[in-house]
Amino acid sequence: GQEFQFGFCHVQGVKLQVLRKAFGTLRDTVQAQDNTTSVRLLRKEILQNISDAESCYFIRALLKFYLKAVFRNYYRQASELRLRRALSTLTNNFLALASALQPREEDKVFSLAESARRRFLQVQGAFQQLDVEAALIKAIGEVDILLTWMEKYYQ
Amino acid sequence: DGVAVLPAPQNLSVHSTNMKHILTWSPVVVPGQTIYYSVQYQGEYESLYLSHMWIPSHWDSPIAKPECDVTDDITATVWYNFRVSATLGSQTSAWSILEHPFNRNSTVLTPPKTEVTKDGSHMVIELEDLGPHLEFNVVYWRSEPDAEERSKLIKNGGISVHLQTMEPGAKYCAKAQTLVKAIERRSAFSRVECVEVEGEALPL
Amino acid sequence: EDKPNLLQHVRFQSWNFENILTWESGPDSTQDTVYSVEYKVYGKKPWLAKEGCQQITRQSCNLTAETSNLTELYYYAQVTATSPGGQTTKKRSTRFNLLQDTAIKQPDVTCVPKVSSVQVVIHPTFTPIRGQDGRPQTLQDIFQDLLYRLQLQVNHTYAMHLEGKQKEYEFFGLTPDTEFLGNVVIFIPNWYKKSAPYVCRVKTLPDRTWTYS
Repeated sequence: GQEFQFGFCHVQGVKLQVLRKAFGTLRDTVQAQDNTTSVRLLRKEILQNISDAESCYFIRALLKFYLKAVFRNYYRQASELRLRRALSTLTNNFLALASALQPREEDKVFSLAESARRRFLQVQGAFQQLDVEAALIKAIGEVDILLTWMEKYYQ
Repeated sequence: DGVAVLPAPQNLSVHSTNMKHILTWSPVVVPGQTIYYSVQYQGEYESLYLSHMWIPSHWDSPIAKPECDVTDDITATVWYNFRVSATLGSQTSAWSILEHPFNRNSTVLTPPKTEVTKDGSHMVIELEDLGPHLEFNVVYWRSEPDAEERSKLIKNGGISVHLQTMEPGAKYCAKAQTLVKAIERRSAFSRVECVEVEGEALPL
Repeated sequence: EDKPNLLQHVRFQSWNFENILTWESGPDSTQDTVYSVEYKVYGKKPWLAKEGCQQITRQSCNLTAETSNLTELYYYAQVTATSPGGQTTKKRSTRFNLLQDTAIKQPDVTCVPKVSSVQVVIHPTFTPIRGQDGRPQTLQDIFQDLLYRLQLQVNHTYAMHLEGKQKEYEFFGLTPDTEFLGNVVIFIPNWYKKSAPYVCRVKTLPDRTWTYS
């Protein structure tokens, strides 16, 4: 029990509750710093109607973006020890998830990968339109939106 | 400030059983003095993307003995590095780093200690408390040919749990194993324990 | 110019999706300070005035109807306090996450004692949230992983445990004419939410059948 199934991609050993608890520690601090309440990166229109088969491509792109471009730059700001520990739990579990999300070559469907990429580019585009610090804060503050979307693929 | 004349602790290693992870090292000895140690950790993410980033262990107040329970630091099934330094007054040693990173999926899983008892016609089991990461799969059956095995998932140890109501004159047995979802592994089963209810079997 | 502090601690308090915005008066507020409430969906531009909570003196406002869309999920509210002299203080809530921030009330349960068993019937918990078909949603409709955890304390040493998604359970093999303490909790693992327990104290019925020697 307790595993992610993103289309063909199957991941065990990463518990949604652990991710939510870790984010819960960061949430108040990071969301309080986000004053652009009219902008949302992970918009409902992007996240809805993603087919099962496409979901693996999309989550891979998103996790890679969070691991490489978002979390890395937030460590500096998470100076408080309990925030840094929570961030470490989040990032290392996301790393475990990302490493396990390897769609098999035979499952590769170019159209799905392309559709997922277009969705992801909308997120990245919105991120790049914001000031660097504001974008970082907003992306981290929306991890709960990401986790709620991921829950649909959690059994 | 403290010049690193104090030798760094050596022989760091992690001993892990039932998801409890203890970091140990060889003590730094200065006759007549108490040496304190600081422990820090780094997950695989930090070592990949922020290699300078080390995080003080949950057990972060200086430690006087040459071991540290790092269970609460390890919160993902990835590789973890640890480092330890020694302090004596204003002297601080260099950091000594664990030679091989540790992954919790290598923890040793032992069968749980169990106690199967009866209370009247009720079969009860108590399992040892092995902390929050472990659950228990208990298999129990009526001791007779072609007996049907039943199983029950018990979330935590340290409490007595009712397994089933027994019929007089029959023998009932149980065994248990630990389950760890975070690393998708389970232990061997414990030895079988049985209880019997006095009295004659009820007429059919 | 020294801004007055007429208002503090604007926050949502939510039980089973009944979402109430509350706030406290500030050090500079008086009995005549009035409050006006606005709300918005996170990511959308407009702040919308909440009808019925404009220029009010009480310090709470029911925003259930305005914040019950399961496809939006994330909201803000803000309160503007106005002193008789026309000075104002405006404060915003934290981001309200509909699923994360609602607490779960104790379940509605009926315990039915029998001679050698206790039956437990759990009644559905309806919420203000409506499905696409307009039907009121239960907690179980909303949280797919919701389950019930039941415990019957048999004596001081052990308890019987049952767990599942169904609504009816029965603890068998009990001693007639004996008192037991039952406890039922709603548990939502993925959100690590747990309700307050419903507790029932029941006594099994006396066994009036002839006993066979």
